[in-house]
Amino acid sequence: MNKSSLVLVTVDCLRADRIGSAGPRLSVTPTLDALAQESAVFSDAIVTGAPTYFSFPGIFASRHALTLGRDLLGIAPGEVTLPVVMRDAGYRTAGFTAGNPYLTDRYGYDQGFGEFHDFMDAPAQIAATAADEPGSQFNRLLAKMSRATTVTAAAYDELYFWYCQWRSANDKSLDELRRYPAADVIVRKASTWLNEVKSDRFFLWIHLMDPHHPYYPPQEALRSVGASEIDGRRARFLNSFWNRGDIGARRLQSFREEIISLYDAGVYWADRQIGSLVSTLKKLGLWDETILVATADHGEEFLEHGARYHSPENLPEQLLRVPLLIRAPGQMPQRIAETFSLLHLAPTLLQGLGLKSPSNFQGHACWQAVRDGTYVAETAISECLDSCNNPLHIEDRMLPRLLAVRDGKLKLVIRFANKTEQLYDLSTDPNERMPLPADAMPEQRRRLWKTAAAHLTKAEQSRNLEFSVRARVRELQYSNFGGKELTLSQA
Amino acid sequence: MTEFRDIRLPEGLCADTEKWLEGKFDSLESFLVVLLQEITKNDGRKFDEAEQQLVEQRLKDLGYM
Repeated sequence: MNKSSLVLVTVDCLRADRIGSAGPRLSVTPTLDALAQESAVFSDAIVTGAPTYFSFPGIFASRHALTLGRDLLGIAPGEVTLPVVMRDAGYRTAGFTAGNPYLTDRYGYDQGFGEFHDFMDAPAQIAATAADEPGSQFNRLLAKMSRATTVTAAAYDELYFWYCQWRSANDKSLDELRRYPAADVIVRKASTWLNEVKSDRFFLWIHLMDPHHPYYPPQEALRSVGASEIDGRRARFLNSFWNRGDIGARRLQSFREEIISLYDAGVYWADRQIGSLVSTLKKLGLWDETILVATADHGEEFLEHGARYHSPENLPEQLLRVPLLIRAPGQMPQRIAETFSLLHLAPTLLQGLGLKSPSNFQGHACWQAVRDGTYVAETAISECLDSCNNPLHIEDRMLPRLLAVRDGKLKLVIRFANKTEQLYDLSTDPNERMPLPADAMPEQRRRLWKTAAAHLTKAEQSRNLEFSVRARVRELQYSNFGGKELTLSQA
Repeated sequence: MTEFRDIRLPEGLCADTEKWLEGKFDSLESFLVVLLQEITKNDGRKFDEAEQQLVEQRLKDLGYM
C-alpha cells in the first residue's frame, strides 16, 4: 500500500489560461508555476460540466452531473465518492470550502469527511447596493411607465443605475465588501488540521473562491498584479457595472480590463495561499509523502462570446478548460497535451495511492499510463442543463441538456432546447468563432454524435432509484417540505 | 382523490415518524401523501427520452443508423 497522503485544491472559476505564462500577461500564479516544474501538467484538462453544481460530481464521484437524473443535485446520499473511499481506507479526511453554497452538506459534499467546514456561517459582507433595495412607490411607477418604449426604458435603466451608484456610495474596504472567506482563512484552517493529523495518512480538500464574482480581492493582491489604483469604491462600481443586465457587450467592454485585473488579483491570492499550504506541508515534514493536485471546477467568461461569469448558457472553452497539475513525490515532471477529462481524476488519484476505484465510478485510472507515457486521450463530454442558473428547486431543473463532446481538437456542441448543433475545429478556430458548415467533416460529425448517443444511453442505464428517492427526500428536508403542511383532504 | 388503498407499515416506524412529525403534519397519512407526491412529480425522464430521440434522429440523418 502506498503511504502517500493527498491534498486536493480546487479553485472556483480558475481558467486554464491564467496559469503561468499561458496568456499575454505576467504570470499571476508563481506558486503553481513553480509546482508545475515538478508535476504532471495537463494542458487540456476538461471539466464534466459547468458551473460548480454540474462540475463537481465529475471530480468527486467520477460521473457526469445528470447521470443520476435531473432530480438529483450534487452527490447522492450514500453515493461512494473519492473522500468516502479514502475514509474507508483509513485516511483521516477533511474538507474546507470557502462558502460555495453548492458545496455543502445539503448536496452531499460532506460525505466521507471526518471534518468538514463549508464556511457558510462566516459573516458574509454583503455589498448591498441601492439597486437591491426595494424601490419607492414613485420609483416603481416610474419604472413601469418607462417600459412604454425601448428608448424610455433604456433611459430609465441608465439613470437608475447612476442614481444607485450615487445613493449607495460609501468607502467600504475590499475586505468589507468581500462575499466569501479569502483563501488565507481556508488555508489557515487547513493548516491547523494538518498539524493535528500529521502522524496519520490524510486526504485534505480545500476549495477556494477568490476568483469568483463579485470580484473583491485583497488590496495587497491588487498591488501585486499592478492594479493598486483600484480601491474598494472603484471595485464596487466595477462589479455593479459588470453585473448590469440592461446594456450590451460593447459598453461592458470599456471596463473589461479592470474587471480582469480584479479577477487576476483573486487568482493571485489563491495561488499565494496555495504556496502557504505547501510551506506548511514542508514544515510539518509531510511534503515528501504527499500528492498535491490543483485544478478548478470551471473557468470564467469575460465577453469572449458575449457572456460574463460562468452561466451554463453555452459551453465554450473558457468555461470547460481548467488547469490540472498533479505533483507526486518521486515522479518526474511531465507535460500532457492530450485531452484529459476530470471524469478520470478520482480513479487516477486512487490508483496513484494504490487504492481500488469503486464500481460506480465511470472514469478510469490513468496514473500508470501517464507515468509510463502511454496515456491516450479519450473523448471528453461536458454537460449541463441549458441556462440553469438557479438549480435549487427541482422544478427549475426540468430543462433540456446542453452537451459538448470533445474529441481531440474537434468539438460538437448540441443544444437540445432548439435542436441545434455546432461543430468547431479548435486547431484552426481555438476561440470558437466560426462553426464549421453543416456538411463539413461528415465522418467526424457522425462519430461525435455517436459518442453523444452512447453517453445518453449510459446515463439512462445508470439511473438509481434509491439514490434518486434519497436525494429527493434530502431536498424536501432542507426546504422543510416546501412549507407544505397539508391535510389528507387538501392533498 | 377519491379512492384509497391500505398499505402496511411497521408499527414502530409509524410511531417514530408520528413523533418526528409532531406539529408539522396533522397525520402520518398526510405526510406520506405529500412525500409521495413530491417524489413522483417533476420527472425528468421525459427530457431524457426526447433527447435520446433527437440523437437517434440525427444519427439517422447522418446516415449512421
